[in-house]
Order: sequence, then structure tokens, then C-alpha cells
Amino acid sequence: MFKKLRALFHEDWCPECTETMEVLKKQLYGLPQMVGHYESHSDASYYIKNLTKVTKKADIPTGYYACGAHLYRCPKCGNQMVKLSIFLPVRDQEKYEETFFIKNKEMIKYILEN
Amino acid sequence: MQESKIQKINIVYLLGTLFIPILICALCFTISALYFPKGNGAVILILGPTVLSILWWIFGGSFIFKRKTKEFEHTLEENGFNKDHIFYGRGKVVIIDVEQGKIGLIFFWNPFKTYEFSASKVEKAWVDDGKSGSGFLEGSSRVSFLMMVDGIKIRVDTFTSNQRFRMNDNYILTGISKADMMVQTIEKARKKAK
Repeated sequence: MFKKLRALFHEDWCPECTETMEVLKKQLYGLPQMVGHYESHSDASYYIKNLTKVTKKADIPTGYYACGAHLYRCPKCGNQMVKLSIFLPVRDQEKYEETFFIKNKEMIKYILEN
Repeated sequence: MQESKIQKINIVYLLGTLFIPILICALCFTISALYFPKGNGAVILILGPTVLSILWWIFGGSFIFKRKTKEFEHTLEENGFNKDHIFYGRGKVVIIDVEQGKIGLIFFWNPFKTYEFSASKVEKAWVDDGKSGSGFLEGSSRVSFLMMVDGIKIRVDTFTSNQRFRMNDNYILTGISKADMMVQTIEKARKKAK
């Protein structure tokens, strides 16, 4: 019970078995959203349709949002989920907008393949 | 639309906006004092112009500016201007056509004169993050992008506040991002215009 509560404060802990999850893949993507016109989307289909793979932060055009994706896998129960961090790259800094945890199978497949 | 030298403030319009309501009020108060010292006439002549003047000072200028901006955008569209980027700044609107290398400008204090010119006329464009102070006092209360056209400096604010924010604050970062993007767009338009 106590571990379950602690898991709420550790985003890399498995919500099912509270084991520390391993990062299977990390990838940076560009989002077709401009500064001052950001709209929040929590559905996986939006990201599957709109994410554009980039190799480095400098490839994202000035004033456009970026999305950092982490694919997590629990070594104990095999549970998988994707963490999407939406941020605005501003020179050498980042302005974080929001973070989503998505368990959608298509999203996991998309991150694995792209 | 003018290719003439940019005039940010029309002094006649500025003074008219500020002082014509005062003159009308003074005239109405005088008429009231001379001919209607009491009753409904006095109330109408004193309260009417006062309320209307206050409403004019609050909403009049913005109403004219918004209307003229819409008209300007419409005219630009009719002239085949692609509105790739529009920045509605405080007191001015900048419209950029990157492909044709053109820039459109309209000012709050000169709304009856609009400017459409080649981006090659922009001598320099840069960002001012308003950073001042040092150490833990380092911060800013204004971020803007500037451009020099025909020797005239045009400053467009992307963020302003009466408070000071740290340089890594979200407001400042958003302002810097907007300003960086606009400067980059101006530079792209300049390259296309050459």
C-alpha cells in the first residue's frame, strides 16, 4: 500500500507492480504547433498522426513545439507505456507545457517503429 | 497603402483622440451653465458628453485600430499578399509574406495610413529580451523584436508586464520564442526579396 502511494510520485515506477521501469526507447519529435497557439491533446491518435521524427533539438523550427517520448517497460510484469513530454525549445532552454502517460498499444507500436 | 517613409504616430489623430472629447465636454458644460443650469437639459449636457468621452478613450482607439487592421488585411489579400505570419503586437500589427518578400504594417496611433513594402527595406531585425540586473536580480519585464526600416526603429512587444520575471520564466521564454520566430521570418522574407 505504502509503495503504491510512493509510486504516484515516481513516474518511472510501474503503476501495476511498483517496480522501476526500464527505458526501451527515447526519441525526440516535432509537433505542428506554434508558440502562442498551443492546444492540448491527450489522445494517442493525435500524436500518431502529427509527430515528426527529428534527430536533434536544433532540427525543430524556431517557435514550434517539440515532444520528447520515452517508452517504458516494466521488467517484472512486462507492462509498457509511453511518456510524452511536450515542450517549447527556446534557445538553450525548454518551456515545459505538459506530460502525458499513454498505454495505448498503437502509440507504443508507433514509438517502437519510428 | 504607402511606400512613403514610415510614420508611427499621426500627431493630429493622437491629439484629436485625446483632446476633441475634452473640447466637446467643455462646450457642453458652457452651454449647460449659460442656458440650462438645472433640470434634464443640464443632466444630458453634463453627463452625456462625459460618459461618451470616457467610453471613447477606453474603446474608441481600439475599435478604429481593429477595424482598420481588418480592412488592411482584406486589402492585402486582394492584392495577392500571402499572410504567412501575422503578429498582433501592442499598438502595431506586422504582416509578413515570406514568398514574395513583403511586409505590411499598421500602427495604433496612425491607423489611417498603412504600409506595404519590400522586406529588403529592412536594414536589420533583432530581438531584445529586456534582460537587466545581475545574479538573483537578473530578469526582464519586456521582450520584443525590432526592425530598422529606412532608419526608423520599429519595436513590437511580444511580452510586457508591470512585474519583473526571471529569464527562465515561462512568460519570458514564450516572449523570446515569439520574437525569435518573427525575426527569423523577417530574415527569410529579406532573403526572398533580394
